[in-house]
Amino acid sequence: MKTYILKRLLLMIPTLVGITMVVYFIVRLAPGDPIEAMIRNQSGNIDPKAMKESADKIRERLGLFEYHYLRDRLFGPEKSWTQKPKGAWFWIVDSTDKVASAAVGYVQWFSRLCVGNFGESLKFRTSGGSRNPLLLILERIPVTATLNIISEIIIFIVAIPVGFAAARYQGKWFDRASSFVLLAFWSIPSILAATVLIGYLGVGSGGLHWFPIGSLHSFGYEKFTWMQYLGDLFWHATLPVVCLTYGGLAYLAKMGRASLLENLRADYVRTARAKGLSEERVVYHHALRNSLLPMITTMVLAIPGLIGGSVIVERIFSIQGTGNLLVEASMAYDLALIMTETLLYGVLTLVFLLIGDILYAWADPRVRYE
Amino acid sequence: MSSLVPTTDAVAAARSRSYGAIVWRQLRRRPSAMISLGIIVLMALVAVIAPFIAGETPIRWVEKGEASWPVFRYLENLEYAGMLAFVLALLLPVTVRLVRGRAERAAASPLGRAVLIHAAICVAVTAALFVARTPERRYGFFLERASEAESAWFPLIPTPRHPGYESLAHRDESPTWQHPLGTDRLGQDIVLRILYGARTAMTIGFVAVGIGASIGVALGSISGYFGRRVDLLLMRLAEIVMFIPQIVLIIIILAVMPSWVPPLWAVVFVIGVTGWTGYYRYMRAELLRIRGEDYMTAARALGIPTWRLLFRHAVPNGMAPILVAATFGIAGAVFLEASLAFLNLVQTPSWGELLNDGRQHMSTWWAWGSAGAAIFITVLVYNLLGEAVRDAIDPKLKI
Repeated sequence: MKTYILKRLLLMIPTLVGITMVVYFIVRLAPGDPIEAMIRNQSGNIDPKAMKESADKIRERLGLFEYHYLRDRLFGPEKSWTQKPKGAWFWIVDSTDKVASAAVGYVQWFSRLCVGNFGESLKFRTSGGSRNPLLLILERIPVTATLNIISEIIIFIVAIPVGFAAARYQGKWFDRASSFVLLAFWSIPSILAATVLIGYLGVGSGGLHWFPIGSLHSFGYEKFTWMQYLGDLFWHATLPVVCLTYGGLAYLAKMGRASLLENLRADYVRTARAKGLSEERVVYHHALRNSLLPMITTMVLAIPGLIGGSVIVERIFSIQGTGNLLVEASMAYDLALIMTETLLYGVLTLVFLLIGDILYAWADPRVRYE
Repeated sequence: MSSLVPTTDAVAAARSRSYGAIVWRQLRRRPSAMISLGIIVLMALVAVIAPFIAGETPIRWVEKGEASWPVFRYLENLEYAGMLAFVLALLLPVTVRLVRGRAERAAASPLGRAVLIHAAICVAVTAALFVARTPERRYGFFLERASEAESAWFPLIPTPRHPGYESLAHRDESPTWQHPLGTDRLGQDIVLRILYGARTAMTIGFVAVGIGASIGVALGSISGYFGRRVDLLLMRLAEIVMFIPQIVLIIIILAVMPSWVPPLWAVVFVIGVTGWTGYYRYMRAELLRIRGEDYMTAARALGIPTWRLLFRHAVPNGMAPILVAATFGIAGAVFLEASLAFLNLVQTPSWGELLNDGRQHMSTWWAWGSAGAAIFITVLVYNLLGEAVRDAIDPKLKI
């Protein structure tokens, strides 16, 4: 088992390098430029020459020519770089300077990362100085995590009894009604649900104005008592949580139903019945425990989604969470921020995949990893 | 002795029940599956013939005493390809019946053969179209000339620029007989926007999932069959692709694409190229199982070349989970595209865009309501069909 975990941990490294490399190259090789995106944001489309001049000025002020210096230090000065190297393996690098600087930039980003430097976010630069992308993400994690933890708890509490009851009374009215409702829930797009909820219960024109959107706290929430704080939080979180919940709920409940049905048909259940155990004991003690297994794994695998899983809902309700941050970052070509978030998400997902596998082996002694 | 040798009738009976036929018979028994399939065919039909129902290009006109059909000159090559694909898909049962005898003598799946033949026809005709024909696609060209023509038949549903249609007088109208689903803020008929949204949804659904499933099947079968180092390498590749944030990719790629590439194709490309990992994992798992089966050992002992072993014997036997996953995948892709358009990240004529427009003015319930209903019905229908196919193939499939 220990060797297995070690092997898996080691295999994570090439995967993470691969993910970051792909994302880095795509962002860097896109014709857009963070500085130009910023200028266009402020003063609209201006003519290319003026754009280049002002972009260069800003770049110089921000010290963004660094990677050119590093490239010179690594591969020699500019002149030799533009000449085609003879028989060199990096002939592609030679053909366009952009690829070259991206490659050098990646090496630089990676080496900085190794000493714990995540770069600087350009989009969220303040007048006082640059912002650390890791801090930016950490600042927003509580919002996204709150939303997702609440909705996962609700999903778990509601879906399991519903799914199991449907399986227990297969073909009866509860099974039929619940499978109909669950299928509908599974197919309602969250954008439609959000539109209706915001429009009628939220702040839409002609709506009832029952629920606020756009944040998870009221103004001045720092002075609330904890009861007020919680009430305020739940009030703000109601609509987004509903949108995040129903789809996963339907999925997990269907899975629970299928899982219990499969176990009820298994041989060991027949054995238990043949022993003369009461129906209650057979179902709740034997079958139910076994059918909880795959559901727990599913929930563990859903945890990384706490960080990146709710982009659409966050965007619709304009909640300042990590998903929204990622969209803003990619629209502004904010390389450091995109990379940090990708890396964080990749690490979390890989770690929880591993935890899920280990938990599965721990809960089910038949599963063995070499 | 004679009782041990099967009679020709028995052989014929066993033959006529091929795997595909058994699954189809199971599927036929489920009303939900049949209704879903009917709705899908109807939607595809509507998407394919949309320019004849709604639009601003005259279907037929009489110009200087000569009658002609301008809409056929206006249609793009890919639109013709879509129509052809639709007709060929409907004709699939006929081809299956035609090739059955030959295919069974060659021990191949008749359905697989028919699909390959139709795909080849579709690709060949599309290629020929691109070589032979350039559509007259200048903006408003036909509309301008239509005013000078002696007579012109227009599609039933007009656009706001249509002559004689006072679009501004028809803004935000609730449903009437003239506009069964009402109009939007520009006086456009909602039916028109729903029809053109259906085209987007169908393209995304079929093309993106087709690309994804093809890549997944190809890599998954190689990975599962050869194992070892190839498997390890491809598994890492799949992990990398799985964890690349799709939204970043779509935003950046849309910015990269030159302006002549419609944003729709950029989205199709991204969803296709990043969405293959699920199919890859199913195919890999199937191949790991199939690799050890007796018929594979027998085929290997016969000295059949590896590629033939792989794509003729192993892959067709592992297609069941792919089929189910692809059906659910279409629902997912349609939903993703609608969400992207809803969030204004992609500019395509889409149901998501219509829903977002309607959201700004909740009182125009017909606008957001019909867009929402269209997305909901599409996703529901594919989910229902996916469940039915899974139950028909094997209720224990874990997808």
